[in-house]
Amino acid sequence: MILPRKSKYLIAAFALLGTLVSLVPLLIQWTSYTSAVYVFQDSYVIDKFSIVLKGLFIIITYLTFLLSFNFIDSDNYYQGEYYYLLLSSLLGALVICSSRDLLTIFIGIELASTPMFLLSGWKKGDRKSNEGAVKFFLLGVLSASLILYGFSLLYGLTGNLLFNEISKQILTRSLGSSPIVLLSAVLVIAGLGFKVSTVPFHSWAPDTYEGAPLPVTAYLSVSSKAAGFVALLLLMTTVYSTSGSNWGVILIIISGLTMTLGNLVALQQDNPVRLLAYSSIAQAGFIIAPIAISGITENYEDGIFSSVTYIIIYAFMNLGAFLCVQVLTKFTGSNDIYEWAGVAKTSPFVGVLTTLFFFSLAGVPPLGGWFAKFVIFRSLLGSSETIGVVLGIIGAVNAVISLVYYARISKIIWMDEPKIEYSENQLVIENPLKVVGIVTVLITVLSGIFPGIFSNLGNIASMLLNN
Amino acid sequence: MEILSNGLGLSAIVFLPIVSALVITFIPKSYEKLIKGFALLSSVLTFLISVVLLLEFNFSNASQLQLGTKVSWIESINANYEIGIDGISLPLLVLSTFISVLAIVYSLEHLPEPKSPKGFLALILVLETGMNGTFVALDLILFFVFFEIVLLPMYFMIGIWGDKTIRSVSGFKKEIETRLYASIKFFVFTLFGSAFMLLGFLGLYYKGNKTFSIPELIEIGSTGAFTGTFATLVFAVLFLGFAVKVPMWPLHTWLPDAHTAAPTVGSVLLAAILLKLGSYGFIRIAIPILPEQAKAWAPAIAILSAIGIIYGSLACLAQTDLKRLIAFSSVGHMGFVMLGIASLTPVGINAAIIGMVAHGIITGLLFFLTGSMSHTYHTRDMARLGGNMKLLPKTGALLGFTAMASLGLPGLAGFWGEFMALLGAYNPLDGLNVTVFRSSMVAGAVGTVLTAGYLLWMLQKVNLGEPADEWKDKELHDADNYELVAWIPLVILTVIIGIFPKLIFGATNDAVVNLISRAFGG
Repeated sequence: MILPRKSKYLIAAFALLGTLVSLVPLLIQWTSYTSAVYVFQDSYVIDKFSIVLKGLFIIITYLTFLLSFNFIDSDNYYQGEYYYLLLSSLLGALVICSSRDLLTIFIGIELASTPMFLLSGWKKGDRKSNEGAVKFFLLGVLSASLILYGFSLLYGLTGNLLFNEISKQILTRSLGSSPIVLLSAVLVIAGLGFKVSTVPFHSWAPDTYEGAPLPVTAYLSVSSKAAGFVALLLLMTTVYSTSGSNWGVILIIISGLTMTLGNLVALQQDNPVRLLAYSSIAQAGFIIAPIAISGITENYEDGIFSSVTYIIIYAFMNLGAFLCVQVLTKFTGSNDIYEWAGVAKTSPFVGVLTTLFFFSLAGVPPLGGWFAKFVIFRSLLGSSETIGVVLGIIGAVNAVISLVYYARISKIIWMDEPKIEYSENQLVIENPLKVVGIVTVLITVLSGIFPGIFSNLGNIASMLLNN
Repeated sequence: MEILSNGLGLSAIVFLPIVSALVITFIPKSYEKLIKGFALLSSVLTFLISVVLLLEFNFSNASQLQLGTKVSWIESINANYEIGIDGISLPLLVLSTFISVLAIVYSLEHLPEPKSPKGFLALILVLETGMNGTFVALDLILFFVFFEIVLLPMYFMIGIWGDKTIRSVSGFKKEIETRLYASIKFFVFTLFGSAFMLLGFLGLYYKGNKTFSIPELIEIGSTGAFTGTFATLVFAVLFLGFAVKVPMWPLHTWLPDAHTAAPTVGSVLLAAILLKLGSYGFIRIAIPILPEQAKAWAPAIAILSAIGIIYGSLACLAQTDLKRLIAFSSVGHMGFVMLGIASLTPVGINAAIIGMVAHGIITGLLFFLTGSMSHTYHTRDMARLGGNMKLLPKTGALLGFTAMASLGLPGLAGFWGEFMALLGAYNPLDGLNVTVFRSSMVAGAVGTVLTAGYLLWMLQKVNLGEPADEWKDKELHDADNYELVAWIPLVILTVIIGIFPKLIFGATNDAVVNLISRAFGG
């Protein structure tokens, strides 16, 4: 921010470099890892769970910077602040991964989401952007207060902030089914439900997504959402682990509603960003399913494994989908998918990428999305609970419904007759975008053919509970 | 050729096509000859490897899985890259590699609009990977992935190169192009079936010692480990997944649309190979792993098959569109295949496999011929066609021959599948309801008569008679060399298999007998 206007480009370069460099200590931690290290009176930990997810957040943010590079450049806005805010949000996400007490995780959650309020209103002159940002802000504050209220109940009950201590107390004093713990869990679920946009706390998402600059939307739907899920995973599997059978059912209902509603509404969208907004609501329903069922079976390791594997694969394919939307919107100059008719014929390369990402989101083999869906079904059926099987069936039906709108994009860009003649020269894909495209497409395809790599990461993350 | 027998050959058959497709996408559009040559080379090479494996295959031990390998694939869920073939999959695998070559040969000169050899040939090759992979996969997850891989290329093949006729479809506000409707219908139907199939696979995984390996699950299944509501549900979802693909009545409605809308090569591959993935799934997975449930469901499958046979033939009689007629005939023919499978006897399942191969060859050829004719005449309306023998003597003669083969004329390939399926249904596995099966057999026999009826009716309308006036002054091109190269081998195979069915039975019989005796202990 202190740099003169002329050298603003340095900021972007510096942000990119800084993000990349921050991977180095992470790698060192990874290679020299022996056991979990606790600091700050056990409230902050470096274990494999945190390393894996931190790596994910850093890479996603890096890719978001690449997406933003030219997008932000083309507007005459404040670049310094843009990168500063995104980096702050990243810091929040990183804090969440390592936090093991209520205060630290709350700071992490707020640090991750507060900058996004500002970023989503980035297009100052745009009414939609303002509307989305205000909605997001109001609901965000509400959700923060819900979470805080939930935490305060726990603190009042146990007089402790550390996850481990709280769960120990709940266990020894057999408070697992006490209404206070349950109320606290419900408040936290509701509060984080806003962050990850599950039904019925999802209503802000489509408006905010539509109003925000596209790279910010991508970040919101990938990184912010993942951060919310990490917080949810941490809290549910540690603090509330003893009352799983109570909140498990609630989450299962939320999960089923979220995927169904998200998909049904997505069917009717013609704006690509709104379509992706509803699709990401539906995907959130899938991510939450294994956590929900693990509450009932108390097999938390499996829940973490499935959710984290899904989050990792989802992050890259969804980022890729946003990349394609960004490129196609700019190329066609239209925000209506039906106006994209036949563009793939002009640019088969973008067409193929779009097809791959959207079919991967639909879960069609051999693209990564199939494996993500598969681990979810695996968790649900592995529970051998009737309710798990029912949710599995709902999920299967939803997978088919979602195909209809994901496939529609491919149908439009490949099969419909072009309404306007496009020339190939109009299509300029800047180099940073190419990097994003290559990275995301490689991961999307590889995670489908060799899912082992990614499920190993999920497996490693699930060791959270062992230390 | 020792080197190919440790799974390397089979892997090459599976992955060579998709790797070639990837290479093709990187060849610039302007090098059209190179693209075509490369696609042809790759498919021929794949076929040659399958021939080498055919020679390597130990026929005296055809009931055992051979030439395969097992490598860890997704460790955390215990899914392996486990492949191998036995007498049941061998003929289907060779058929698949063979038809793919013919499809590419035909496409060299007869590309559908919009002409874009790069995309079209690449899709055929991706499709081939899916088909070959399904026939060699011995792990449920691997099977699922290959089973699904065929969806994307077929979706695009129908959607981009398909029939552009505008039609109104109930449920759609606006009129819609046939290809768009048919392609998404095909995709949604199949995905619906297979999403549930995947749930069934997971059920087997959890009840069956946490393994996805088909041979291991067969081992567990034959000891009667899967019982009760669980097994009933699993069989139900597997049935759904496979029956949509076959397709069995009443899940067949995507088929006439997809077939009619698809470009010629698309229909050929769809009829010749894709439909077999479903019936193969019954033989390879559903019956051996869940024998008791198969027994319980067999009468229902037999009845549905019988309905399919009759319904398919009657629907054929009502068609005016030549290609749609052939499409409905597939419903009937696959009904015979499923009737054979439902009998759960060696005779019936042998019949099903030879029926699958024969249907692949004969109906594949029929789709080639009708595709070529509709290209020449620019119509598929049988009322306008007529006197084809005089206008296009070569195509007409081939059409006559193939129709005879399709109606099950003894001495040609189509005969064995139908005849033996009826035989199997006359004498089903002990304990099955004989009345149901014999009634199905009677229905099937009526079906053969109806089949003969509609095929002869079709020949009379299309091939015989005097050409209509509208064709008099037009210059119509009879089959060219590319077409003949693609078609003649199918004719020869039809005759050879018709005269020496042992070519197929020699491979399948041991494996089928072993399957039945292991599943039902007889």
